[in-house]
Amino acid sequence: MKSFDYVITDEVGIHARPAGLLAREVKGMAGSTVSIGKTGDEKVVNVLKVMGVMGLGIKKGDSVTVTVEGGDEDAVCAKVEEFFKANF
Amino acid sequence: MALDYRKCAEEIVSKLGGKENVISAAHCATRLRLLIADNSKVDSKALEEVDGVKGMFESNGQLQLIIGTGTVNKVYEEFLAVTGLSAASKADIKEAAASKMPLWKKVLKTPGDVFVPILPAIVASGLMMGLVEAIPKFWPAFGQTDWFSFLDLVANTAFALLPVLVAISSARVFGGNVFLGAVIGLMMVHPALINAWTVGNYAAGEIPTWHLFFFNVQQVGYQGHVIPVILAVLLMSKLEQWLHKHVPEMIDLFVTPLVTVLVTSFVTFTVIGPIFSIFENWVLAGAKWLITVGFGIGSLIMGAIYPLTVVMGLHHMYNVIEAGMIANTGLNTWMPIASAANFAQFGACLAVALKAKNQRTKSVALPSSLSASLGITEPAIFGVNFRYMKPFICGMAGGAIGAMFASWVGFGATTYGVTGIPGILAVNNIPMYLIELVIAASIAFALTWFLWKEDDVGEASKKAPEKVEAPLYKPEKAVIKCSAGEVLQTTPGKVIPHTEIPDETFATGVLGDGVGIQPAEGVVVAPFDGVVTNVAETKHAVGLECNGMELLIHVGVDTVNMKGDGFEVFVKEGDTITAGQKLITFDIDKIKAAGYSDTVCVLVTNSFEYDDMSYPGVE
Repeated sequence: MKSFDYVITDEVGIHARPAGLLAREVKGMAGSTVSIGKTGDEKVVNVLKVMGVMGLGIKKGDSVTVTVEGGDEDAVCAKVEEFFKANF
Repeated sequence: MALDYRKCAEEIVSKLGGKENVISAAHCATRLRLLIADNSKVDSKALEEVDGVKGMFESNGQLQLIIGTGTVNKVYEEFLAVTGLSAASKADIKEAAASKMPLWKKVLKTPGDVFVPILPAIVASGLMMGLVEAIPKFWPAFGQTDWFSFLDLVANTAFALLPVLVAISSARVFGGNVFLGAVIGLMMVHPALINAWTVGNYAAGEIPTWHLFFFNVQQVGYQGHVIPVILAVLLMSKLEQWLHKHVPEMIDLFVTPLVTVLVTSFVTFTVIGPIFSIFENWVLAGAKWLITVGFGIGSLIMGAIYPLTVVMGLHHMYNVIEAGMIANTGLNTWMPIASAANFAQFGACLAVALKAKNQRTKSVALPSSLSASLGITEPAIFGVNFRYMKPFICGMAGGAIGAMFASWVGFGATTYGVTGIPGILAVNNIPMYLIELVIAASIAFALTWFLWKEDDVGEASKKAPEKVEAPLYKPEKAVIKCSAGEVLQTTPGKVIPHTEIPDETFATGVLGDGVGIQPAEGVVVAPFDGVVTNVAETKHAVGLECNGMELLIHVGVDTVNMKGDGFEVFVKEGDTITAGQKLITFDIDKIKAAGYSDTVCVLVTNSFEYDDMSYPGVE
């Protein structure tokens, strides 16, 4: 299992569209399960569950922890982190 | 009309924000005590409207619903069935609530927690004692019969051995082993010890004493004591829990109970007992002093604050004072004060029952007032008077005057645990007692009658007329169909496939497949019977769920940037919705003025789970 923390800088946080974009990004990475939750919070959801991600209510300034399990963890984790930096 | 317990429980669960929002549940004589995960999901107005719920309030981190004696346990059973929760012990509830409560409140609450479960035993015994001991007053020969002797034994068992009940209940409250708790309680009233109520017959030097280390322990029982029992069992429970964690499992079964009982007993007899016997005597002396303060002023104060102590759950403590009075003087002068206070709450509640026009208020207040007249005031206080506050205060005034009158006349009861009408059989001056009750109740009644207005009921009833408003858009045709069900058109207007939504994210189906609606009217209604799973803080989107299908309704494109301006949302996370119910209203012009598309996106976010999606509404 690999994970990274990230502080959201996007003005509107992770709402419907960002959640959708994230899901699309991750959908292509077969074999890996990518989960997200607010750092230190017990509630963690699979990023493919768009409604669940929206339900986290992640806002600007929130720190999130993203974990990758299975598949090529290192590569997937790096790619997802890059995606976060570029979009959120 | 008999209450449909199942229906009542189901409605309560739905108004609480679903069973997921309930952490644990317990009940006492009249109340359903719940611990809620997220209080913001609770629709408290709707909860009060549920048939069978007489009132609700939050206290000590718990949500408490007043259901009523004899009913609450049935509703509770159904509640457990509906939620799938197991019966929560008081320990669960208390522990979880504890985190939300300051220490002093926890301390104040404990005696109440301990006494509520044993109320049935005490109420039954108290009434019986009142009756049995009153009969010889009319019919002295009865006092010599076997029947009297037998009934007296039955009636006073619970009181004579009260520490056992207190110990068992305390063990449950503190999470200790109930049987070890019982042992501690039994030990404190062991027949080999001198009975605390008869110890006065002994001269100081005659009382047998143990010499343990440097402690000299008088071999006297704890009959009539409460606090030392609670403390002993508190110590026992904590010790037991600590030992369970630290003693190796192999020897846990015999080491832990042995050490627990031995250490607890020793500390109880050498430290806790002596200190708190003294302390309880101070409390007793304090209360006794207060009620002897000149011209009945002390009684006046006590009569006024008595209902407040009921609210805090402290009134069960007074059994100690009453028992002490009877043990010391044979006359319970506390009882007239409690009676005045309780009967005044009856008067106030009756005034509400007679004055209220709202049928619902009436139907709650009337039986509650009857119960109060018999000395069980919780339904009247929590269900009616305390909720509207004014009747409660009027009741305090009535209780104060009644108590002062009793103190002037100077009568008392020969037993304890009964107040109100059954108290007639317990007092030594029935005419004066009746006058006292009339004074207390009529002052409370009159004040409530003139000061309380039904408008004081609060927002709940004021809001009612608002429900009559212009008929909303009524959804009729389905726009999405799949094996999980149908999605009705949420908003009037032209329906387009999601691929035509003017935004790449929505069009490519990243957020799921569905439709877009070009709104003719700025309203979104529920497309099915389901649950609200998510409400955007910016009010422009909601997530719904029905039968496993997750639906996102997103009003407009990029409208998140409007930060809620022009949007109003009428549901919150966890709400149960029915098809056609208003969810969101929005200002089409404002969205357009801000430069965004107003297309309402209705998308099944888990559409990949269904292979039979169809869109009958698309034009």
